Amino acid sequence: MDRVRTGITGLDEMLSGGFLPQTANLVEGAPGTGKTTIGMQFIYNGITKFNQPGLIITFEEFPLQYYHDAAEFGWDFEQLEKDGKLKVIMTSPEVSRLDVESVGGMIETSVAKMGARRILVDSITHFERLTQDPVELRSMEYSFINGLKREGLTSMLTRESPTLFGEAPHEDSNVAFVVDSYMLLRYVEIESTIHKALLMLKMRGSDHAKDIRQFEITDQGVEVRSKFEGREGIMSGNPRRMVDSFVEAFVKR
Amino acid sequence: MTLVANGDDFTARLMNDMDPALLDFVKDKVNSFIKWDLVRFFYENPNTADTIENIAKYAGRNAAAVKPELEDLVESGVMEKREVEGTAIYSLAENEDMRDLVDRFILACEDRHFRVKAVYHIIRGMR
Repeated sequence: MDRVRTGITGLDEMLSGGFLPQTANLVEGAPGTGKTTIGMQFIYNGITKFNQPGLIITFEEFPLQYYHDAAEFGWDFEQLEKDGKLKVIMTSPEVSRLDVESVGGMIETSVAKMGARRILVDSITHFERLTQDPVELRSMEYSFINGLKREGLTSMLTRESPTLFGEAPHEDSNVAFVVDSYMLLRYVEIESTIHKALLMLKMRGSDHAKDIRQFEITDQGVEVRSKFEGREGIMSGNPRRMVDSFVEAFVKR
Repeated sequence: MTLVANGDDFTARLMNDMDPALLDFVKDKVNSFIKWDLVRFFYENPNTADTIENIAKYAGRNAAAVKPELEDLVESGVMEKREVEGTAIYSLAENEDMRDLVDRFILACEDRHFRVKAVYHIIRGMR
């Protein structure tokens, strides 16, 4: 099956070539981990490397902010919009939900006019303000995601994690169950230096890398590097060297 | 010879070197500071589509103050409004001529003299 390649160094290899077409793909992480950068790069590479026009739905940041942030990586979003390859749409979860469900909405129209194939929704977390009921929230998210699939879009949905390090507390949203793939970004402290870790927790219908990779945000965008060697507890935020754990478990008794 | 021009003469002198299309735009469409703010916001974020309440938040203004201004902009063709399941959603008009006019107005506003003239006209219209 054809893959929807992200074009991000190291990531497509983790995804066995890329996302599956017309799937919903969740990227979760704490503030500053790089969720939006990965999303913008997914859209930018789609347009410039794979000739797949894209949409960005933003629920909080102004489009102007995306233009500025993208320009830092040398990605000219304003020109891509002028060329009809990209549309950065500022709206709210309530309007986007109604839009996807209606006939002739802006997303449907954009897909028809631009031939959009990819979409970044930044961030799906804002759906949580629509209802306090977790069952209703899951239903709304499920319906919204299915609407994007119906339009033939491969989506990347960002989700904010409130914790900087370690395990996130239990939350009401069950969106991780609804999506097709689930990527987790975490800060990791190693010898008084903050690193960033990426893990593919789930990829429905496809094999994927199970190891925890280091990644960096360079002036070219995100680059996924090698896995963390010789350490455990990476996703806890406070990894230990495996040899220390071994000594603690078997020697210091 | 009249040494002191009356208000109308002064306004006419201020406006007579303005692009007629932009003069009409200021007189008929962007004739308040809230409308000016909204037009600038939609120029910078042209694909925004949202409710009055959310647009007011984006603009940092009160929804009650924004509502009549947005309705005026819809009436004058600068904005579009569509109803989905009883919710009114506002966006910048897709009409290319109107978008071009909005672009020209905002770019013209970079010139201080144009801004002064436009401000003068809006204040005069508010009297």
